Amino acid sequence: MPETTFLDSTELVLNMGPQHPSTHGVLRVILKLDGEKVIGTECVIGYLHRGVEKIGENRTYQQFAPYVDRMDYVAAVSNGLGYCLAVEKLLNIEAPPRAQVTRVILTELNRIASHLLWLGTHALDIGAITPVFYCFREREEVLKIFENYCGARLTTHAFRVGGLQYELYDGFEQQVKAFCDMFLPKVDEYEELLTNNRIWVARLKGVGILTGDECKEFGVTGPVLRAAGVKWDLRKAQPYSGYEQYDFDVPTGENGDTYDRYIVRMQEMRQSVRIIRQAVDRIPAGPIGKTPKVIKPATGEVYVSIEAPKGELGYFVVSDNSTQPYRMRVRPPSFVNLQALDRMVRGGLVADVVAIIGTLDIVLGEVDR
Amino acid sequence: MADEQNAEGSAPPPASGGVSEPPKQKDAPKPAAAKPPAHAAPKPPPPMAATAWEGELPNQLKERFGDQLTACSSYLGQNFAVVQPEAVIPVLEFLKLEADFDYLVDITAVDYPNRAERFDLVYILYSFRRNERVRIKTMITDAAQPRSAVPVHTGANWLEREVFDMFGIQFAGHPDMRRILLPEEWQGFPLRKEMSIIQQDNRWVRENLGIESGQ
Amino acid sequence: MGKFFRTIFLVDLFQGLWVTFRNQNPKNIYTEQYPAERPKVAERYRGAPRLNINPDNGETLCIACNLCALACPENLIVVGSERNEQTRRKELTTFTYDLSRCMFCGLCEDACPVDALELTQDFELASYTREGWIWDRQMLEEGPKPTPYKC
Ligand code: SF4
Ligand code: SF4
Repeated sequence: MPETTFLDSTELVLNMGPQHPSTHGVLRVILKLDGEKVIGTECVIGYLHRGVEKIGENRTYQQFAPYVDRMDYVAAVSNGLGYCLAVEKLLNIEAPPRAQVTRVILTELNRIASHLLWLGTHALDIGAITPVFYCFREREEVLKIFENYCGARLTTHAFRVGGLQYELYDGFEQQVKAFCDMFLPKVDEYEELLTNNRIWVARLKGVGILTGDECKEFGVTGPVLRAAGVKWDLRKAQPYSGYEQYDFDVPTGENGDTYDRYIVRMQEMRQSVRIIRQAVDRIPAGPIGKTPKVIKPATGEVYVSIEAPKGELGYFVVSDNSTQPYRMRVRPPSFVNLQALDRMVRGGLVADVVAIIGTLDIVLGEVDR
Repeated sequence: MADEQNAEGSAPPPASGGVSEPPKQKDAPKPAAAKPPAHAAPKPPPPMAATAWEGELPNQLKERFGDQLTACSSYLGQNFAVVQPEAVIPVLEFLKLEADFDYLVDITAVDYPNRAERFDLVYILYSFRRNERVRIKTMITDAAQPRSAVPVHTGANWLEREVFDMFGIQFAGHPDMRRILLPEEWQGFPLRKEMSIIQQDNRWVRENLGIESGQ
Repeated sequence: MGKFFRTIFLVDLFQGLWVTFRNQNPKNIYTEQYPAERPKVAERYRGAPRLNINPDNGETLCIACNLCALACPENLIVVGSERNEQTRRKELTTFTYDLSRCMFCGLCEDACPVDALELTQDFELASYTREGWIWDRQMLEEGPKPTPYKC
């Protein structure tokens, strides 16, 4: 009698991706399964590696700015803001107030756009088809504002070091306000569709728990950290671009599961609207800043980070007193967050892997750079 | 070198350092007056005008690590400590357990090919309780195998793999020291300065993609 | 108890369906029938490049200063010029623009001192060949001529 029969479960290795609709790009996950249970994972990344850091070393400070948009392409404005702040810090200059308020408005609009894209695709992964259409419909309005402002919808290149390139167009305030008024009821609508939906709740509650301590251990930031109950947001902790002047809350969750992360992101969209409304009312008059013709920072290094929609996005720039960065390191939130995937799916069901990849809200352009 | 540091050591970082227009650039802040004109040889850039980092934490670090701590400085309000390579992990441990620097933000490296210790290894830390950032820097040689930070911060795993992938720095004691972004069989370390931007591993491209080169 | 009734009467389901129902109004259709109706793009849209011509005398505005080529991160602009012996000024001879590598960042447009190079609202740039993306001076001055769609 052989020791094992066909009923004995043996380890099954399942390859998911890189061309899998629910991996949001080209992520490949090798899953080790025991029946339906995940007993180990390995992420294979790098399919989208374009060497952004190397490109940064070979371009001038002005020329590198459009490339950062292509890392997290659904939140290009945030990437651009972080980069501009880093170089401005290195030069020890600050953008004028009008530019700062405009930057805040556009970045928060971008946060909404990014969260909407996440909500649509995440819901689609779980099996709810309707939200994706509604989310893209509203995201379109944000992209229209971007297009009117800077001429591009996705990879915007909206900010320049030292301020802005484009003056606000006529009707910007009205369009943004109209968007805010239109958008808040829509968030309620999404919540009506999902928050109490029994399938949604059953698929998300208690899935992929990551506690606050585990988050800190892995360096996970952004909504994932806040859903675990850690009230930490760089906009509050180390305000930049004048975020200290705005009144907003940092939503947190309790259990650190997928459902809490959903709730946190929904609340964040509402808070973003709150910030935008305050900012639109106080756009000061004045200059929008001028890009220095030659950017040649003194030798030195800085690390500047901002709260991107996905977490802490940092730029570590080393200058050697030339017009090109000596080293340009990007600390991508998605890359670091993705590292926690293994901890989150281990012991869970294979069907939950899709939900957990979705809830981490990764963008592979940023993971691989 | 020494007199430059004296000249700039205590001054605040130059405010107008880079924003000047090209004509003004010539009399930019560097104290070049004492030096011979720089046309003959490419002049090394002036060193970073860092100031001393004062406070409780650097004092603690000095007391604890003594000689192993080379410098505690601050540039543009950002603090960093330079330590000996063998002291990195103890410093990280100390900062995590006794000073609450419990979040390892990033690990990265900077390549200086003309220096005896070729790489700067940079650890960026953050403390949730203090709301403060520090950078720990160390200089290592090409052949050095620094100890891995994974036992202290689990999140160091992928970050160290990326440093290995891009610079070829092997971390001793790392659980899984493989390439992460580039393919496993790829030759060369792209972020080293001797690699030009268009240089690729053409052999790999030929074998795996069936085209002559990636360019 | 309330929860129990909500569960058996499928309250959550009907709530969701009601949202879907509210969004059914055919007046709120967002889909654009693209080739049939051309979308209106923003005034500042960064699309196909154009070399502007002085409308008064039909000469190019470009002074062949090469600033756009220097500003471009992708190094895709090549400006050819020749010194005119009579006027002692540089004159533009050739201008190539490799659209296939362009990322429409607008840096060249910003760099141009005389507003000769401009990114326009044209967005129909498809080409059957890679060579078709490399635009010469004539193409840049005339703009793309997409075949219109006939319904
Ligand atoms: S838009 Fe940008 S990439 Fe394209 S030619 Fe101009 S500067 Fe170069
Ligand atoms: S910057 Fe303008 S004027 Fe100068 S070469 Fe380019 S298009 Fe011509």
